[in-house]
Amino acid sequence: MRLEAQNLTKAYHAHEVVNIKNVTFGSGGLEGLIGPNGAGKSTLMGLLTRRIAPTSGDIQLDVGNGVHKLNPLKSHEVARIGLIKTNQRIQGFDSLTIKDSLRLAATPPKDEGFASLFAKERDSDEIEAKVAQLVEAFPFTDRNGYAMSGGEKKLVDILRCLIAEPKLFLMDEPTAGLPDDITRMVMDMVRQKVANGEMRVVVVEHDLPMIWEYCDYVHFLSEGSILFDGTPEEVKSNRVVAEKYMGV
Amino acid sequence: MDYLIFSFSLMLVYIGLAQLLHIQFGMAGIPNFGVVGFWGLGLYGTGVLYLTYDVPLFIAIAMASLLSAAAGYVLALLVLQRSGQAVLAATLALSAIIATLIVSEKDITGGVQGLGTIKFPFGDMDGRNIVFMVFILIVVIALVWLSAKLRDSRMGRQLVAIRDNEELAASLGKNTASTKRWVFAVTCGMMGVLGGMSAPLHQFLVPYQLAPSLTFAVWIALVLGGKGHNLGATVGVFVTFGLFDILIETYAPVPAEQAILLPNFKLFCYGLVLIMIIMFRPRGMLGEDKPRVRARPAQAQGVPRET
Ligand SMILES: Nc1ncnc2c1ncn2[C@@H]1O[C@H](COP(=O)(O)OP(=O)(O)OP(=O)(O)O)[C@@H](O)[C@H]1O
Ligand SMILES: [Mg+2]
Repeated sequence: MRLEAQNLTKAYHAHEVVNIKNVTFGSGGLEGLIGPNGAGKSTLMGLLTRRIAPTSGDIQLDVGNGVHKLNPLKSHEVARIGLIKTNQRIQGFDSLTIKDSLRLAATPPKDEGFASLFAKERDSDEIEAKVAQLVEAFPFTDRNGYAMSGGEKKLVDILRCLIAEPKLFLMDEPTAGLPDDITRMVMDMVRQKVANGEMRVVVVEHDLPMIWEYCDYVHFLSEGSILFDGTPEEVKSNRVVAEKYMGV
Repeated sequence: MDYLIFSFSLMLVYIGLAQLLHIQFGMAGIPNFGVVGFWGLGLYGTGVLYLTYDVPLFIAIAMASLLSAAAGYVLALLVLQRSGQAVLAATLALSAIIATLIVSEKDITGGVQGLGTIKFPFGDMDGRNIVFMVFILIVVIALVWLSAKLRDSRMGRQLVAIRDNEELAASLGKNTASTKRWVFAVTCGMMGVLGGMSAPLHQFLVPYQLAPSLTFAVWIALVLGGKGHNLGATVGVFVTFGLFDILIETYAPVPAEQAILLPNFKLFCYGLVLIMIIMFRPRGMLGEDKPRVRARPAQAQGVPRET
């Protein structure tokens, strides 16, 4: 598993918000990406998943079946290869219930054509089981209804990505808007999947104790550039990180 | 009597068009303001094929609706990934272009002088206009049934997701552009079928029939009835076209001097009701309906945790 970007830049007007010589994700199990507000973390993730077009640079993804060049691909093609990201700001499908939202994400696009009008069952037992298992693992107000609070919407956003079974999973601030105990449940579930070899994960966070606890490897981004990579211990004791971020 | 059958047949065509708009706009969120154009391609396509090339009526309808579908597909390629306003303007413009071409290409279409006569199928049979009305009825019922199937299907769920948040749907691996394009092309093709079936109803085709008022009538009906409800189109057309164009115009004892005011009065009422609906019941008379899917017992218990 290897997601690599070279000479990746993104400028809005003349203002360059990402400028990275080289970065590689996916070689560690659970990686962190940290950096001050406005460092360009979300922009970088948008670039990697092709939701944002880069100003310049190349992105390649290898999930074990050859190297895919991501530059010419659309965002849905990137997702189908197995690179999926959660959203920092709440996103959702307002007309879909929690379960329908998850069923949608679990359904392979080839099963959603015109022929599906005449299918006997809308969703297979396999998908129903996966959805029920995920929904019942968390304390939703109404498991058969809609996501009520911002927190529930954020949780659905994460579960929706998980049920789509990404190979490389990018999480943009999973703790923002989620209660602490839910965050832990999510991160434990993610860590379990990583340990099982189902996926690799990159998580963007401002909650540093969480990063130190869960991550095997951490990248530090500041003003659009990766300034340091290393194990949590190395990053914690790095002078540049301390100066630029931890306010010491 | 013949006039009443004509009016009912036309009303069924309107219901069919509104039903297709329910799929395009209500489900997929595509604001098609060129309904009359896709319908008109079917109408004139059928007329030209039938009269000039002696193609049997039903084959002419099928061929003409392929033309509508192709126009929908190409337009979708060009504009469907742009903003809603762009789609609105482009579809409206396409229907205006089609209407203009039909006036200007008079060698093919007969121009302003028109094109006729397109006869009902079934030869000299008595009451073939009634048989044809029943035929339209069957087609329209099939459309309503199909769009209920769509609502309850995986494809319908994907359409709703695309309408709600297309970028998010794409980020989950859905090829949103292709789904929208095909749904749009197929439904535009079906608008063409309804156009083709309108050819023997009108018998004589004139460019005036391609005026945008048809598009607006269908939109008003759908918004009134409920764009997100499978029966919204039917109810909407009943309370607009059915009530005004059939009941009042045919049966209301309006003195001749005032009768000329009726169309204006109709537009006034449409406008008033539309404003009331938008203010007090923005989802239309019927509101929205949800997919009907057989409830399944929760299955999480006993399912081994994925490892
Ligand atoms: N669409 C846009 N147009 C203009 N500027 C933008 C746009 N998106 C992001 N930016 C700018 O790019 C910079 C990086 O933003 P980004 O959201 O990537 O930061 P971040 O590291 O995710 O910050 P945070 O921790 O607050 O989420 C910011 O200065 C932001 O203002
Ligand atoms: Mg961010």
